[in-house]
Amino acid sequence: MTANVAHARPDEAGARALITAYTYVLDEGPLSDWPAFFTEPCLYRITTRQNEERAMPLSIMLCDNQAMLYDRVEAVEKANIYEPHYYRHVLSDSRTLRRTADSVIVETSFICVRTMLDGRTTLFAAGKYVDEIIADKGRQLFRSKTVVLDSSQVDTLIAKPL
Amino acid sequence: MLETVNKPSPASAAAPATVTWPVEGVRRVPFAVYSDPAVFAQEQHAIFRGPIWHFLGLEAQIPEPGCFVVAQVGETPVILVRGSDGKVGALVNRCAHKGTPLVFVPSGKVDQFMCVYHNWCYDLAGKMLSAAFEHGVRGKGGMASTFKKEEHGLQRLRVHVINGLVFGTLSDETPPFEDYVGPGHVANIARVCGRKLRVLGQYSQKLPSNWKLYIENVKDPYHASILHAFNGVMKQDRLTMEGGITMGARGWHHISYSKMHTDTGDQIYSTAAMRNAEIEAYGFGLRDHSMTDIWDDHGDGITMTITTIFPNFVLQQLRNCLAVRTIVPKSTHESELMWTAFGYEDDDERRLQGRLKQANMMGPAGLIAMEDGMIGGLVQKGIAGDLDKAAVLEMGGHGIEPIPGSRVSEGSVRGFWTGYRALTGY
Repeated sequence: MTANVAHARPDEAGARALITAYTYVLDEGPLSDWPAFFTEPCLYRITTRQNEERAMPLSIMLCDNQAMLYDRVEAVEKANIYEPHYYRHVLSDSRTLRRTADSVIVETSFICVRTMLDGRTTLFAAGKYVDEIIADKGRQLFRSKTVVLDSSQVDTLIAKPL
Repeated sequence: MLETVNKPSPASAAAPATVTWPVEGVRRVPFAVYSDPAVFAQEQHAIFRGPIWHFLGLEAQIPEPGCFVVAQVGETPVILVRGSDGKVGALVNRCAHKGTPLVFVPSGKVDQFMCVYHNWCYDLAGKMLSAAFEHGVRGKGGMASTFKKEEHGLQRLRVHVINGLVFGTLSDETPPFEDYVGPGHVANIARVCGRKLRVLGQYSQKLPSNWKLYIENVKDPYHASILHAFNGVMKQDRLTMEGGITMGARGWHHISYSKMHTDTGDQIYSTAAMRNAEIEAYGFGLRDHSMTDIWDDHGDGITMTITTIFPNFVLQQLRNCLAVRTIVPKSTHESELMWTAFGYEDDDERRLQGRLKQANMMGPAGLIAMEDGMIGGLVQKGIAGDLDKAAVLEMGGHGIEPIPGSRVSEGSVRGFWTGYRALTGY
């Protein structure tokens, strides 16, 4: 393989396969696989549509390297206390926003349904992913993933990443 | 054992509420105050429309004349606006005609407030300017001759601005702000907010619990390193650090503070029957240190201050992570926690990024704050069905006097109930 191939821009099908695989890990586990979807360094953020529209930089969750992603997994699995629950993500088709020399930037609408162990199922989050995806040694990875929530109000808490 | 206090209901209040407060006083809290709709109505009247200072927003959110944000004082919708003279004012967000809210977006900029329903218009100070067709059409119709615009301005709140924080009150009886909170609070607000503030963003949480369960939680340093295991294990805020509690005027408000570089308490945290001991066995520790790469913003070594102002305001300095929070009552069993994060105008890029990273500790996904979003809802579930029983608050004694140098106390929670009982009459 040439260096050229190693840094080839991913095609849309590969990008979409990454997004799909990502949400299945959030929904089915294990959460410890979550960091492996990202480059090093990387950018993962959850923010709100209103903060985006007002150019406010605050995030609900922010990780910019692999260590921070793993810290979040450990906190969720071992330190934080919350009612256990499942996520179920449903995604729209993705559309390509632009391409750079080595990446493709796509956005995808999602809804996430949260089900508590006592059976309560609620629509927990609606919004979009804005993803910059690169190809590295034949794999696709997120260089950045921004989760923009349509609502600025969260029901109780967000323990696991979206 | 029990004394019954019948609160005489003022004419404007809803159904009179009767609460049986245990004779022990503020070291007991009757569960009924978290669940009874009549109590909720009495709180709206006696507390939120009563003699309290309520946080409305940051001056930095309304930089120019006509800029506004909305707030809620209890159930009352309020507009915080910068007037044409540059001064900050607050108006009840309710057209004098039918009661329609004049603005129904969270923020914006206007020349005047115009109601969408019948186009009644008000200037930025709330003075009524005009109504559609007030002189009729082609000489016919129009407002009655008895109608006087000067009698139909918007209701104004008294406001107090301190270091960029804006508070308002609906009552004429409210004492001056400095007297209401006390000198220690004035000094700590100046300490945390003494430079020009920059708003970094906002979000909120819908909490499945009564608003008081949240404010009690904030005022309770006893739980902070226990429920929030992240805090304890990561040695972010532990009761073994140097720190303390200072009470504001009348004990209604409090400041809890600590210095994280003075911790000596590994043993008590790893041997006590606490989740921390269990978790340390996993060897959990932060891999990344950019979030704990902190600096001393205020030159005094105090890494954490939580300041509350009765009834429902919190000013947070968690290391370099700065925010204001308001817990808004929605019903007996629901509240909304509003967060606004801020930094300073003169922050350089490193400090700005540092604050944004440390914001991982706060909010709905906060590594530390997360549990505060759910614990009130758990309590609310647990107390259901036995509203004649009461919570027990005896850590640190019976009173509201702080223990010098110690935070192992619920005195500040008892201080909240002291104010609550004084205003509601329960």
